[in-house]
Amino acid sequence: MDTSQMERIVKEAVSLGRTTLVEPEAKEILRLSTVQVPRFFIAKDVVGAFEAAERIGYPIVLKLVSPDIIHKSEVRGVSLGIMNKRELEQMWSEMILCVADEMPTALIEGFLIEEMVPVGAEVIIGAIKDPQFGPVVMFGTGGAAVELMKDVSFRLAPLTREEAFEMMGEVKGFPLLTGYRGGAVKDLGAIADAIMKMAEIIEKVDGLKEIEINPLIVYEKGAVAVDARAILG
Amino acid sequence: MGNKNLDFLFRPASIAVVGASAVPGKISSIILESLKNSGYGGKVFLVNPGYESIGKERCYPSIASIGEEVDLALYAIPAAGVAESLREAAGRVKGAVIIGGGFGEAGEQGRAFEKEIKDIVRKEGVRVVGPNCMGVYDTVSRLDTFFVPAERVKRPSRGGLSIISQSGSFAVTVMDELAAEGIGVARVVSYGNRVDVNESDCLDFLAADEHTKAVAVYMESVDEGRRFVESASRCSAVKPVMAVKVGRHDAGVLAARSHTGAIAGRYEIYRAAFRKAGVIELEGYEDFMDACKAYGTQEASGGNRVMIITDGGGMGVSIADACSKTGLEVPPLSADLADDLRSVFPPYFSVSNPMDLTGSATDALYAEALEKTMGGEGYDMAIVAALWGPPGLSDGLPALIAEKAGLYGKPVIICSPGGEFSREKTRLFRAGNLPVFSTPESAARAASALAGGAKKVKANG
Repeated sequence: MDTSQMERIVKEAVSLGRTTLVEPEAKEILRLSTVQVPRFFIAKDVVGAFEAAERIGYPIVLKLVSPDIIHKSEVRGVSLGIMNKRELEQMWSEMILCVADEMPTALIEGFLIEEMVPVGAEVIIGAIKDPQFGPVVMFGTGGAAVELMKDVSFRLAPLTREEAFEMMGEVKGFPLLTGYRGGAVKDLGAIADAIMKMAEIIEKVDGLKEIEINPLIVYEKGAVAVDARAILG
Repeated sequence: MGNKNLDFLFRPASIAVVGASAVPGKISSIILESLKNSGYGGKVFLVNPGYESIGKERCYPSIASIGEEVDLALYAIPAAGVAESLREAAGRVKGAVIIGGGFGEAGEQGRAFEKEIKDIVRKEGVRVVGPNCMGVYDTVSRLDTFFVPAERVKRPSRGGLSIISQSGSFAVTVMDELAAEGIGVARVVSYGNRVDVNESDCLDFLAADEHTKAVAVYMESVDEGRRFVESASRCSAVKPVMAVKVGRHDAGVLAARSHTGAIAGRYEIYRAAFRKAGVIELEGYEDFMDACKAYGTQEASGGNRVMIITDGGGMGVSIADACSKTGLEVPPLSADLADDLRSVFPPYFSVSNPMDLTGSATDALYAEALEKTMGGEGYDMAIVAALWGPPGLSDGLPALIAEKAGLYGKPVIICSPGGEFSREKTRLFRAGNLPVFSTPESAARAASALAGGAKKVKANG
């Protein structure tokens, strides 16, 4: 894995005095590591958003980009399934008003216009640098309720592909990925790949303290990281 | 590195007791008593400028005045005086155990004392265990530096289990319990504030120690995380290593801004480290004791398939439940084995797993059941719950079970709940070197620990 470009993203954020990466930066690191992410553009104004949406093609997703907001959905900074220009304009205005109301001091860097990906099974993959044991990777199910359910497993990095599969098998929600109640069997190999890549990123990229994909949407074939965040330090 | 440089601690040819005292009940006189009782065969020098002699023993004013090199200096003096004495002794001793407290655990002044000790370790190359520790109890070199009187805390006999403990009182209590259970130990070390020697140093030594068959670790924190994983991995590749980590609810030290950071409490990371290193994770004090008892007499099992033999149906099912809860398997008998057993057992016996020999149980039937089930390939170990009600059971049963257990090299665990009569009989099982547990849950925990050791040692072998 070539980490020089990833480190450049981290350094640039640090030079701006930031302690986190914004979503498109975190996703760029994932993309560079070959974890699949949805197609996206950043728009500074509504005209730019229309153009980006045309290039991607509706339906699209609109998200707030702000280094001050780590959990976007808590300030309604995510709008899914926007079908046309009229809806985009409406959602854009609502989002700006809501943020102005909830977090008036937040710095808004722009808006993310992103390809709307199909529904699939959702998992979380996180990686942190532990002060005692060094790089550690986490796998879990439970989506937004992951902190409540704590249905997760951990391994020290680096790890083998076999360990990545063990991590999946250790969580209670594992059957959700293997055809529970008639569902399709999901691409476990793609999850293992993402776990290994995350372990490698946290191990090798200087200045990165935590990075997280939540969720990674997993299909019968392939998986896409639809949201990501990273903490510097 | 490794083995050789802890010889001062585990194989000292001579010991100086700094702060030796004639006043009974003082820490230093208890240590002298412990050293005497343990049968330590090396030279012991007493050091205290306040005495010419203690009893018939000569007392030296300083380590320098002894006039020969000393392997191990035991410091039983107040914290304020340790650094000066250790500095003076540097070059004349290989290593020191600093017993007393009043260091890093005791405020700013104590931290300053501790830092001085650290500087001496770094500059003078003398190795230090502690401070704020018990030191070592070692049945191989017959060494005992624990400052608890033997009439209050019994010392275990010689065995193959070694224990590494950050806490002195934890080590002492475990030793006392093991002694009461008739379980022996090889080496027990309490390393306290670990200004120098830490858990990884001890693991490196014990990995190469032929007298240590299994290692149990009690830890509150880790000194060098990654080195611990490496040392524990090397040790667990050749002998079972198990660990309990206490203080689980410490908040994560990470800025918990991602979900991962919020969930990753300290303990989850320790668990991941144990997994990586092939260390058997123990849940707490009960689990620690059960695992120590198991490994004190038995070896790791080849797998996790348990055969349960009892004369009480309810107890058998309770044990089966406890086994499944810990992840053990209780597989049914194969058709051939069932036929074989039916041919020798009365028709009203429940020939299955758990196997209920009922109130008609006899010594011979227990022996038969154990022989036939352990003899084949179907099971990795047995839990035998001999309830003493049936009149057909005699005092010869434990020895017979021990004899059959020895035939197949598979662990046999005794579950013996009950009152006065049953408790009195546990000594018979102990005499046969079988670990005895008083509840289905503790027997299952012990079995689980034995199963946990198998995989790693095998995978690396």
